[in-house]
Amino acid sequence: MGHPNVGKSVFFNRLTGANVTESNYPGTTVDYTKGWMKIEGEDVELVDVPGTFSLDPKDKAEDVAVAMLHETKDAKVITVIDASKIERGLYLALEIIEEGYPVVIALNMWDVAWDKNIRIDARNLERILGVPVVPTTAISGEGIKELVSRLKDTKPVEVDDIVTNAGGLT
Amino acid sequence: MTLSLGERWTLIDRISKETVTFGKYEHTLKDAVGELTVKPLTGIPVAIAIMYCFWSVFGSFAGTLMTDGFFVKLFDGYWLPWIQEAFPGQGSWLYAIMVDAGGFESGEFVLSDNCFEAFGALTSGLFVAIGVVLPAIFIFYLMLALLEDVGYMPRLAVLLDTVLHRVGLHGYAIVPTILSLGCNVPGVTATRILETKKQRFIMMTLLAIFIPCGAQIGIMEEVVPNLLGWILLYLIIGYFIFGYILNKIVPGKAPEFLIDVPPYRKPLLNNVSKKVWGRIAGFFKVALPFVMLGCAIVSLLYLLGVIQFIGDLLAPIFVGWFGVPKETAGPLVAAFLRKDLAVAQLSVIEMTEYQLITAVVLVSIYFPCVATFAMMLKEGWKELIAAIGVLTIVVFAYGGMIHLIGILLGVA
Repeated sequence: MGHPNVGKSVFFNRLTGANVTESNYPGTTVDYTKGWMKIEGEDVELVDVPGTFSLDPKDKAEDVAVAMLHETKDAKVITVIDASKIERGLYLALEIIEEGYPVVIALNMWDVAWDKNIRIDARNLERILGVPVVPTTAISGEGIKELVSRLKDTKPVEVDDIVTNAGGLT
Repeated sequence: MTLSLGERWTLIDRISKETVTFGKYEHTLKDAVGELTVKPLTGIPVAIAIMYCFWSVFGSFAGTLMTDGFFVKLFDGYWLPWIQEAFPGQGSWLYAIMVDAGGFESGEFVLSDNCFEAFGALTSGLFVAIGVVLPAIFIFYLMLALLEDVGYMPRLAVLLDTVLHRVGLHGYAIVPTILSLGCNVPGVTATRILETKKQRFIMMTLLAIFIPCGAQIGIMEEVVPNLLGWILLYLIIGYFIFGYILNKIVPGKAPEFLIDVPPYRKPLLNNVSKKVWGRIAGFFKVALPFVMLGCAIVSLLYLLGVIQFIGDLLAPIFVGWFGVPKETAGPLVAAFLRKDLAVAQLSVIEMTEYQLITAVVLVSIYFPCVATFAMMLKEGWKELIAAIGVLTIVVFAYGGMIHLIGILLGVA
């Protein structure tokens, strides 16, 4: 899951060898696509969904994404965040975490964030959120292997714990 | 526990304070170019230049180089004479459907001498699919993929936002519109990025009626190259007139749109080639069977006299209302099944230029192709029925209007 135009389809194609259309504009993907990948010898199904800003859909494409999430209660969710616009990506990630899904966060477009002089302490972010956080540049493939290897480390997190780790809400 | 909206943002604030440092941002060349292509004063000339470039590459590659320079020679010079010889049963109905319906000259059966006039599935069907449509959609999708991957599309959307608001849409409607110029099927799917039912309905209807697909444009480029500009102009004008009317009568909202304009990126060869290949393959999986089947069915209906019968029946309407010659009735009826070949058929009928423009515009705004039709059905049958209603009205209203304009200009 992730916002429009953060690179979800690029990940999907890289991981499954599929040919989902990728473009540099939001709204390229309007339907879901299923594919298979191997993790440590096991076949795992992966689903590419349209981008959405929140779990409260505002168009038909976002509808598809949110419905897919709610239909697959046992899914692990790779949440792709545009690292140069991290805050609003975290909003969606928190929503998904709050619904009890185990999440892995890909801080994608790491190169763009770097160019914009935005520095993110991924390790600290991982400590606070309690889920794996991996910097990636999907287009060139950086970080993808690590992302896959960290899938097994994720578990549902109580949002209370995140609040505590962040030092409270006040 | 779940958080309230406010709490969630407070938490995000805290997290980002802990983990993110924002350095000083430098204005780069990329940003400068980005701004130049979005601001109207510089952006509009750039957009026109890009479109012009797109257009001339399309015409010279697909029309001049590939079709005229190579495929016409190959098909008319070698394939047609060979298959006319090799296929058994000259003059039989199977021969007519598959190879060449031929013609009668002073009572004698003669074979056609080019692949546009043979109208067999293995001659015209194959020639249109491979010789005309393939180069057209190849170059179209290649250039589209480049524009997409560079990140130009969202900027075009921003530029055209004001204009498209007049027809109940917003800038983002340019994405389904441009996709439809390749093939209406993905165009219809792309309407899902529009927020409301009203917008999706307007968009889908306008696409199905006024946007000719790559195959049609390829054929027009081939058989009526000097009239293509006028034909497209009429289609664009129609798009806006009927969009404006639909916006007034269709209930519902047409909200503003918010868009993230992504940074410009260098397109990756790998992705561009994969995308072009995928789209062409998709197009041919859907289009080629329809093209061949359509060819065969049209020939069969001709042989059975069905098309002549309906044509004669409707001829008064065509002549009186649309101002086109009686002979066009046949091709115009056949266009229900085969839009692209209908254009080729029209081009050999004797008529004035203005009549030809009218006839080709009519073919374009007619019933969408079967694949598009099926796709629209998937998006909702109520909308499809409403769209067909609109389409019928538009064909008569706009067709009549073009005729009227011709009368006023003194050319019809």
